[in-house]
Amino acid sequence: MALFGSSSPQITTQSDLKTQIQNDITQELAVANASELINKVTENCFEHCIQVPENILTPQQDNCANQCLARYMKSWNVISKTYVNRIQNSK
Amino acid sequence: MSNLSQYQLQNLNESERSEILKFIESENAKSKVQMSIHNFTDLCFKKCNKNSSMNANLSNDDEQCLKNCVNRFLDLNIKIVQTLQQQ
Repeated sequence: MALFGSSSPQITTQSDLKTQIQNDITQELAVANASELINKVTENCFEHCIQVPENILTPQQDNCANQCLARYMKSWNVISKTYVNRIQNSK
Repeated sequence: MSNLSQYQLQNLNESERSEILKFIESENAKSKVQMSIHNFTDLCFKKCNKNSSMNANLSNDDEQCLKNCVNRFLDLNIKIVQTLQQQ
């Protein structure tokens, strides 16, 4: 899945060990970040869009979920900018 | 991480090790900020969408609500710390 990035290439030469470790750490954190986002979006949009769970995801629920996801991502970006600004201004 | 053996890690020299420690520290700090953003988004998404219909675009009011939500949360956080310190 593109969201998680491609797996880091296997670098085995000794001189690149440090780079490999750094890539692995970056990769782990990217996965943690993505799964946190996925969990929170799912919780919020489930709460909002699925009042009564039925035996399938209805077209209305499906549409609501798409809107909700897009809205959540936009909200994430607004919050991110606001928070980062605030951190920078307080220094 | 699984493909790194203990033996390989011991082969890192002193400067490489300290570089990696610095790297971890800075990635950790970034990660903390990201996790705070996740928590604020979760909290403020709930707060600001209570009465609105779920549409993909944020209105100016929606955006303002989100900004206020983060800023007032942080104000309150500071206020509470100050109040507790005075006791």
